[in-house]
Amino acid sequence: MRRFIEFVVRFKNYIALSALVVMSFALMSFGNLAQLGGFRAVVVGSIGWMQSLFAWIPNPVALKSENTALRELNLQLSVEAARTRQAMVENSTLRTYLELPEKIDYSLIAADVIGKTTTQLRNYATLNKGTAEGVHEGMCCITDAGLVGVVIGASQHFAVVQLLLNRDTRISSKVHRSRVDGIIQWDGESYLSLKNVPRTFDVKPNDLIVTSEYSSKFPPLVVIGRVRSVSDENNSLFKNVVVDPAVNFVTLEQVFVVNYIPIDERISLEKKTNDENRGKSNE
Amino acid sequence: MSPILDRAQLQSNPVLRAMTYVIVALVFSVIHVVFLRFISVSSVTPDLLLILTVWIALTEGQFVGLFAGFACGLLFDVVSADVIGTNALAKTAAGFVAGYFYRENKAMMSIGSYRFLLIVTASGVVHNVLYFFFYVRPMQVSFWSFFLTYGVATTLYTTVAAVFPMLYVNRQKDW
Repeated sequence: MRRFIEFVVRFKNYIALSALVVMSFALMSFGNLAQLGGFRAVVVGSIGWMQSLFAWIPNPVALKSENTALRELNLQLSVEAARTRQAMVENSTLRTYLELPEKIDYSLIAADVIGKTTTQLRNYATLNKGTAEGVHEGMCCITDAGLVGVVIGASQHFAVVQLLLNRDTRISSKVHRSRVDGIIQWDGESYLSLKNVPRTFDVKPNDLIVTSEYSSKFPPLVVIGRVRSVSDENNSLFKNVVVDPAVNFVTLEQVFVVNYIPIDERISLEKKTNDENRGKSNE
Repeated sequence: MSPILDRAQLQSNPVLRAMTYVIVALVFSVIHVVFLRFISVSSVTPDLLLILTVWIALTEGQFVGLFAGFACGLLFDVVSADVIGTNALAKTAAGFVAGYFYRENKAMMSIGSYRFLLIVTASGVVHNVLYFFFYVRPMQVSFWSFFLTYGVATTLYTTVAAVFPMLYVNRQKDW
């Protein structure tokens, strides 16, 4: 017994290190903050409250960038407004001809960004709207430019949005012009990548990338960004498609939370089918 | 040192020191969440809690440094909405590495000299290798290219931030 105690005392640092490493791995197996239930709401609420206290402090870098972006947006909008007017007339006529159902409009909840954690590659934004205003986990967030991200946690008056530029981003998407499907991912840069696009498929620079109908998280046809460049990946059957996000995350100040929750029935059916297929392949 | 908290009193009373560390860690967390974005350079910010971990490891020894690193890492994971445990693991390792440089009754000499910056750099490298190893797991990118871009930059920025406590202690010169 004495030798055991001596051993523990002698190697206490290594024993403590091993114990703490095991504890860290055990905590990691919990997964992310979104899986910690009630604790998450307390954290989101506290961080939101702290950030709201200092939300009035202007960020000069963001203001300059916002000014430039607004000028560009203004120019684009004036051109697009003229095009839209014409398109609306054409659209209305064509819909009548084809008897297409009207596109479903989701209700939107306007919210202010009161805090952003774009540091250390943890790209989150805190909103000043929460469950009391109808914002719930899983809802997606947009601006006039396009998709911002998805709500990963909400307390009564605050919500945390995981931005597109995040390591966990996986969005089923498609090229609007050619209907080529792919998966949008972030590789740690200021742009996104459209993955799983075979070399022979039709994708060109400046193509618009939108969310796909296959997505179980996001409503379809929400703009994600535009293709910046297309090249062939070395030793691969796929293209390397670089996409510029439509949203300027530096100047993000106001967003809309889309009151769209993925349909439970669809998700549970897809999960059930996947599980069954996995079971069959294991047999 | 302020007249409210005498240095000798602080050095002789471990409970008081522990409370000071807790308060400083909480203040650093608030700074991280609210203010650090103003000084971020291409998403890279200094890791204040890592500096605190190194400070504690140099002042209190490797054993305490380990637990301080774990606690600071957990706090960091919670406030930065990260996967709980990743920073705890990385900062525990950083505390362990920094603890190797502990010299009894010579902590302020270490902190008040360039040695402190070297220790922060060494701990930062270990911290960021571990952290980014887990960070890039869900992504289709090479670990080394990601580490060389962000890991090295974060370590350098943290080392630059560590100059301030080093100069502060250096100016006291009463150790």
